[in-house]
Amino acid sequence: MTRVAVVGVGTSKFGKRDDASVRELAWEAISEAMIDAGITQSDVKLAVVGSTAYRGVELYPAPPVAEYSGLVGKTPMRVEAACATGSAALFSAYNAVKAGTADVVLAVGFDKMTEVDTASSLAVGGRGGNYTWEFQMFGTTFPTYYALYATRHMAEYGTKEEDMALAAVKAHKYASMNEKAHLRNRVTVEDVLKSRVISWPIKLLDSSPISDGASAAVVVSEEVARKLKVEPVWVQGIGYSSDTSSISRRGEWTSLRAAREAAAEAYRKSGVTPHDLEYATVHDCFTIAEIMAYEDLGLVERGKGGTLLREGQTERGAKTAVNLFGGLKAKGHPLGATGLAMVYEVVKQLREEAGIVQQQFRNYVALTHNVGGTGHYAYVSVFRR
Amino acid sequence: MEGIPLNLNYKVPIKGYEKFWESLKEGQVWGTSCTKCGEKYFPPQLHCSKCGASTTWFKVSEEGELLTYSIVKAKPQGFEGYEDYTIALVRTKEVDLMCWLSGEPRVGAQVRIGADGRRVTCLIK
Repeated sequence: MTRVAVVGVGTSKFGKRDDASVRELAWEAISEAMIDAGITQSDVKLAVVGSTAYRGVELYPAPPVAEYSGLVGKTPMRVEAACATGSAALFSAYNAVKAGTADVVLAVGFDKMTEVDTASSLAVGGRGGNYTWEFQMFGTTFPTYYALYATRHMAEYGTKEEDMALAAVKAHKYASMNEKAHLRNRVTVEDVLKSRVISWPIKLLDSSPISDGASAAVVVSEEVARKLKVEPVWVQGIGYSSDTSSISRRGEWTSLRAAREAAAEAYRKSGVTPHDLEYATVHDCFTIAEIMAYEDLGLVERGKGGTLLREGQTERGAKTAVNLFGGLKAKGHPLGATGLAMVYEVVKQLREEAGIVQQQFRNYVALTHNVGGTGHYAYVSVFRR
Repeated sequence: MEGIPLNLNYKVPIKGYEKFWESLKEGQVWGTSCTKCGEKYFPPQLHCSKCGASTTWFKVSEEGELLTYSIVKAKPQGFEGYEDYTIALVRTKEVDLMCWLSGEPRVGAQVRIGADGRRVTCLIK
């Protein structure tokens, strides 16, 4: 079977994008990705559209996006895996290329999340577990789900709110250097600790913002990659898993089982170990999620995620740098876009086009860790140049 | 410009689960267990995920341990009128379950499980 390469990436500016509908937003990412790859719509055999779509006016956004972007006839579906929708689109594109179904596939992910009010948005997110048995009875919100993990992590391992705050400080620092990021202000630990409580222990500044955005990647076969002028970034392996809808059925609340399983599978398929990683994007939708991601990826032992932040071991120049584009936390988290924004980031890093946040590589090994819901879905993908 | 609001009015089926919802009104919490392999389920379900057999009802114990919790300040649609509420996960000898917690929360604390007519509740002992 063919190897699979990413040969073009694009991403829109993230933020409250009330200057654009979902069509123009997606086009920002699609056009950049096609120009980057040196292809046009006529080269694309299949376009995989990823969007959760529940917070925008276009509930069936694939047709309007395809129409606007010149991709009519190539978008037979929309894929959805909550906050891991972008990775679901990548996974579908990868599989189509791997299977020989199509040799040039455009994966595009987007969401317009700010078209509804915040209370409606919380009500959609609160259904991210199990409607009947959780939301209906208890009024869960999406922050609540991660807060249940944070409280347990604090109780079991002594993780402190200050440790979590460090993830926000780091994210905002790097987002301030990323002109496409949603939140570009710097914050301090004190700012985070003093910010409004959303669902204790999660506070406003522990949380990723509600963002609009789009990201895209051109995924091709080895044969096509060899003909294009751009340096390919190879998808070495995609690991995936999922977990129970009911959070009460997990049996543990300090780690995301689906993410651990996806990571193990990605490492096995790609032949790399956590030790080999020089760069990672992790799913820091809340600050506790970054701490758990370090542990779930095997960058550090269980319970010690906060240590990496305290010691600056995931900053630029560290052995494994993490989220130097600002993470979900500050770059923004338009659900459908996020997984492909991670691909954009690792491709830019591996091609050494990341400017002031460029990580130094020796072996050019990077990874994306994208979680949907509260570990309801997980994808971990390994990339090499 | 203003978009046209989308009002989604739902009816949620409870067929087969009447026992659960009616028991909440009596302050009780019921789960199901597999008639063949004995696997216990909460939330309850009518079929066993493991062996496919049908399940039967059992009453969940009233004694439990607090596993984790969160105090909800930013409330979603449908819960705007409530005071801040604490959502907790608790462990009973049969199953783990979600509840609304009252009392000063502390992971590891013993709790008493009941129901307020609409949902599972637990009280710090």
